[in-house]
Parts: sequence; C-alpha cells; structure tokens
Amino acid sequence: MKDKLFRKADIIIAAVLAAAALCFFLWQSYGSEKTVAEISVDGKVIETVDLSAVTDAVTFTPETDCHPVIVAENGTIRFESSDCPDKICVRKGKLHRKGDSAVCLPAKTVITVRGGGIDALTY
Amino acid sequence: MKKTVICVLIILVAAIGAGAAYYVSNSDAENEFFAMDTYVTAKIHGFGAPAVSEKIEETVNTLDTSVLSRQSKDSDVFKLNKNHGGMLSGNMDSYLETMLGIHEKSNGKYDFTLGALSDLWGFGKKPAVPDEEKIKKALDLCGADKIELGKSSVSFPKGIVLDFGSVGKGIALDEISSELGRTKIKEAVVSVGGSVLLYGEKDFTVGITDPAAENGYMAVLTLPACCVSTSGNYERFFEEDGKKYHHILNPENGYPADNGIVSCTVVSNRGIISDALSTACFVLGIKEGRKLAESYGCETVFIDSKNNVYVSKGLKDRIELTADGYTLKNYEG
Repeated sequence: MKDKLFRKADIIIAAVLAAAALCFFLWQSYGSEKTVAEISVDGKVIETVDLSAVTDAVTFTPETDCHPVIVAENGTIRFESSDCPDKICVRKGKLHRKGDSAVCLPAKTVITVRGGGIDALTY
Repeated sequence: MKKTVICVLIILVAAIGAGAAYYVSNSDAENEFFAMDTYVTAKIHGFGAPAVSEKIEETVNTLDTSVLSRQSKDSDVFKLNKNHGGMLSGNMDSYLETMLGIHEKSNGKYDFTLGALSDLWGFGKKPAVPDEEKIKKALDLCGADKIELGKSSVSFPKGIVLDFGSVGKGIALDEISSELGRTKIKEAVVSVGGSVLLYGEKDFTVGITDPAAENGYMAVLTLPACCVSTSGNYERFFEEDGKKYHHILNPENGYPADNGIVSCTVVSNRGIISDALSTACFVLGIKEGRKLAESYGCETVFIDSKNNVYVSKGLKDRIELTADGYTLKNYEG
C-alpha cells in the first residue's frame, strides 16, 4: 500500500503545536497590557512594580547614596525625596506612561516604566 | 509509523536549528549603566548583540577615564590641564580641531574652557550665585582663543581648564558608532545622558523632552540613522531669591545664557557636532544658532519661553507635536 503524505497522527501533532503557539502569542499580548516599572541601582534591577495593580502607596528605600525614597501609588511611581544636591529626580514627578523614566545620578538609581512607543528620548 | 517518526524528528531538528540560527543573528540586548557622570542606555539588535552591548559599556568607560574626564588622573584631558598642554594622542587632535572650529564660527559663544567658571557656580555640587568680582576673575581664566593647537600638540596658558562636558556624550556616540560599524549589528539606539545615536537602516522615533512638563515629551521626530542632542534650561538649575539659574553659561558675561530659549535640539551625522552645537545654539539664540547649525549641515528644533517651536526645513515633515500648548512657527515669523 502506498503511504499517504500526511497521516492522521501528523495532523494531530500539527494541530497541537499550532494551538500551543496560539496560546503563547495570546499570553504574550495579554502580558504586554500591564504597565510595569523597574527600579534599578547601579544597573541592577532591585524591584519590579506592576503599576496596573498599585492603588495604596508602597514605599521603596534602596540602600544607596543620597537615600532616595520611591513611592508607587495609584498607578504611578515617583522619587518622593532624595538627599542629592539638584533634585532633578524629584522634579520629574509622577511616572505612569510606558517609556517614562527618572534618574537620580548621585544615587545611581533609575525608575523606568517599561515599554513605550518611541525609540529614545533626547534631553 | 516509523517513517512518520523519522519525518517529525527531521522537521523538529531543522526547526530548532533554524530557530537557533535566527535567534543568534537577530538577538536583542539591552544595557544600562552609569558613566561620564550620566546615565547610559543601549538597545542593540543583530548578530552577537549581548557581547556588543557589553563592549559599548567598556568603550564608554575607557573613553571617560582614559581620555575625557577632568577628574580622572589617568585621562588625557587631566594631564593636558595639569601641564597646560602637551602631546596629543588618539583622536584628541581631531576633537580639539572640531571644537575650536565651532568656537570660532560661533564668535566665541561656544567655549569649552569654562572649567573655572563652571566650578565657581558649583553646578552638580552646592550651586550658588557667585560674587560678580569672582565671576570676572574666573572669566580671565577662560577663553578657547588662547589655545594654540599644533599638528600633534597643544598648549595654553596656566589656569585655563579644558572641559569636555559639552562634547563628551557626542564623542562617545561617535566612538560607539565606529564600534558598531565593525560588527554585524543591524540596529541600535544608544543614549548617553540624552544625546542619542540612531544606528541602522530604518526610521527611528525620538521624543523631545517637554520643558514645561514634569516628564514626558512634547514632540516626536522620525529620523534615519544620525545623532541627536538637546540642551535645555529646564533640568539642571537652582533657584536663589526667587530666580532660576541654569547650567549653560554665556562666556561673554559668565552668567547663564538668557535669550528666551528653553530648549535646543540639533540633528547631525556626528555626535561631537550635535552635542557641541546644541550648547552653542542655546547660547547664540534662535537667529544666530540656526545659521551656525546650517553651516554644519545640521537640522534644529528650538523651543522658546512662549512655547513656540521653530523647526528647520529638513525636519518639517519629520516632526509631530504630541503635547498641548505648543505652536509650530517659521523661523522668519
């Protein structure tokens, strides 16, 4: 008997793989809906905050120079205070949009809201 | 059944092989670090991206500590300042030639010898408005016109302090661009403290920081491969007796430049040019700044204190205002 190009088992395997791929892409796109902020000190991420889930104030105090105090509240995150001389980080105010970021240079501390529609920001 | 199993295995191995090859040649890498007294981010796409992003960090750190830093005792600039000149190595002759050219073309409004004056104002430490007499004395220790640049050496009077703060980020972008040219990286976006390198054959989007807002951007530029730098008075400043003092100093009087501009963005093929010209144009003002940028073939975006946005011809179809309250104006208007 001449073999068929595709047997029933092949079709089932292909269908299962296709379903798995579809689930993966759906999960990926669902995941990207979240607004996630990262707090890093000297290039290392020390906290990841799901801003979409934050309502009550949560305070972070990274152990670094200038003792920055970072507060996440109602879907936003900000440098509440820092002992740095110029306070550029505090003046940045509340971050909530994807791509927003604030840097405290003396404390080597960065808040970045992941994602965003532009490639870079010039300042 | 046996044939089926063999077929599936072959397909699987081929798929994994193809996937691995695709991943290696199209991998992405991101690197964020502190160098040159600022924050650096690099997003790389292409063959060997992770290794290239690490190499970029090494390049910037070496450039800072071995070449450009005023503070690092091992740097070329530190040694030149200490000895009031000396022999030039690496690309230092090219950097100085470019900077002196901009100094000359800007009629002295761009000056990279304001170290003594900048230290007096104390920006980045404990800034305060200095006494007028002290400003005058500090100005006597400034002046790029006092620099004698030879073929492979430079000399200048004692007290003059070379300060590469207005070009360091741009020079870093140029060095990184050269580095990327030796790799198989397809696309890269590197920001050294807000001066941006766009690398690759595609259009990129760059936001211009909104001077009036706490954060975010007021316009988006769509640009091909190039360098973009911005100077503004909205970030590094301090207040004394109810008045704001920003960090971009006018070499004519020693005080912060005050000509109604709040932000100036310059687009160039070279980082050293975009970086230096953004400072020069900020000090010069819209009319003279625009002329200077044009003489270098650069495009510009000026924002004045009334939220008017002046865009050069080459960017008119490449800019989109994204924040309320800003008005596009013609240079003549």
